[in-house]
Amino acid sequence: MGSISRVTAIATNTVREAVRNRLLYALLFFSVAMMCAGIFLAALSYVEGERVLQNVGLAATRIFSVAIAIFVGVNLIHKEVDRRTVYTILSKPLTRAEFLVGKFAGLVLTIWLQLAIMVVVFVAVSLLSGAPLDTGHAAAFVLIGAELVLVVAVATFFSAFTSPMLASFATAGVWLTGHLTRDLRDIGASSQSEVVQSVTAWLHRLLPDLESFNLTIEAVHGLPISAADVWLALAYAAGYATLVLFAAIAVFYRRDFR
Amino acid sequence: MDVSEPIVHVEGVVKDFRAGFGLRRKRVLHGISFGVREGEIFGFVGPNGAGKTTTLKVLMGLIRATAGRATILGCDVRETAFRRYVGFLPENPYFYDYLTGREILRFYARLSGVSKARRDDRVEELLGWVGLTHAADARLRTYSKGMLQRIGIAQALVHDPQVVFLDEPMSGLDPIGRMEVRELILRLRSEGKTVFMNTHILTDVEMVCDRVAIIVNGRICHEGAINSFLGEGEPEADLVLAAVPPEVSTRLEQEFAATLRGHGDRLEVRLREKHVQDVLSAVLAVGAQVISVTPPQMSLESVFLQAVEEGE
Repeated sequence: MGSISRVTAIATNTVREAVRNRLLYALLFFSVAMMCAGIFLAALSYVEGERVLQNVGLAATRIFSVAIAIFVGVNLIHKEVDRRTVYTILSKPLTRAEFLVGKFAGLVLTIWLQLAIMVVVFVAVSLLSGAPLDTGHAAAFVLIGAELVLVVAVATFFSAFTSPMLASFATAGVWLTGHLTRDLRDIGASSQSEVVQSVTAWLHRLLPDLESFNLTIEAVHGLPISAADVWLALAYAAGYATLVLFAAIAVFYRRDFR
Repeated sequence: MDVSEPIVHVEGVVKDFRAGFGLRRKRVLHGISFGVREGEIFGFVGPNGAGKTTTLKVLMGLIRATAGRATILGCDVRETAFRRYVGFLPENPYFYDYLTGREILRFYARLSGVSKARRDDRVEELLGWVGLTHAADARLRTYSKGMLQRIGIAQALVHDPQVVFLDEPMSGLDPIGRMEVRELILRLRSEGKTVFMNTHILTDVEMVCDRVAIIVNGRICHEGAINSFLGEGEPEADLVLAAVPPEVSTRLEQEFAATLRGHGDRLEVRLREKHVQDVLSAVLAVGAQVISVTPPQMSLESVFLQAVEEGE
């Protein structure tokens, strides 16, 4: 019970701090602006204007949410160390694991809050444009939320031991590669070289397979989405994020606060 | 726990930091050992860069010792649970400046495991204790340095700890701020707390500490009761004089073994306290001016300066 209370205290404060970050509002503004710009792009399209609109909307949601997760996420631990607030916090009966999990949970909550705002804008824009909305869209947003958990975990991992600059490059790199691992694996599988096959297969296993969270095509084109795929992706996100957090905690435990 | 056993026990603690990107390591603490007894104010004294803050960070579990052992209340400092009984004020503390004084204390109370039922009462009690009730709802960004130091002391005490660690608690404060913090520290002792204080300001040590350890270049040079330091050597006084004829200056050096330093027509004189009356009579007799007479230097300063010289 005490542990939950301490983690909640850190998480609540992390949300309070993160929502004060102006960068979050700037990115949120651009995301909303891009969704609204989708209306004009849709008007320019000869056919399937609603699909263009929703494609742009989902892409804007994903890209700007990830940008927020990276840029706000990599700074959270660094700021605590840089401003030395970590000294008083870790001198309390609070483990480093509780601190890190609290920071992670707070950031996830913040990212989900901004995701909720983007969903509201997406729904409003879709309704105004007469674009269809169904459970496929809901599933697509749920999996974007799951992907963000994973990105936040990776950002937390890198920020546990390196500078914000390096952490943001590394997290962005993992995110980009994570969306390409399936293609890499397929290209590798068709290669003649066993080394290439083995390396690409391992990369696919090791790096997060973020395309599992991409239901944009299915949602926009009204294609069937199986509940099993959604649940599997959610379980994958939970498992992968937990492993990354364990790694972050292990690194954070060894860190000296000089 | 045995009463005679130190409440804070440091034994052979070594700390190496990696120097740069290579494998080269720099030793910052060279196997230091000392103990702090229950109910005392312990001054951990040393020049800047001597290893005071590193030692404190080892005790707070913020950095890990390369070798040796440190315990507080019998528990290894790498553990977490014992921190329920320990409070810590870092040097130049920074707190979330968008929170108010009351909010920050509630936050720390929650982290420290103070029950919800007790939390609000404890926060109000502490705000009163450090004299910040009037500023409880002001954001910390509007606080002065002295007020931040007091809120820092309050957060260190929010869970009513047995041992309180203060890193340079008077640094950067004006004379009134220093006096206020000094009074708070003395109140802690009167309430039965053990206080460990890092500082390089010797007058503060002399005013509040019961025992002292001097650290220079990562090594403990002296450890003992403050009285034992004050009793050592012969006390010295400083005079500042003006318009002293050269022949009198020579006499001061030869007859009274005084150390002289000239600045324009002013002369700084350091001499044994027992010679002060004679020197004053001598210089006044030749029409020289006495600008100031500083009370006898406590020998803690002499011991400290000697330790620093030997350490270097």
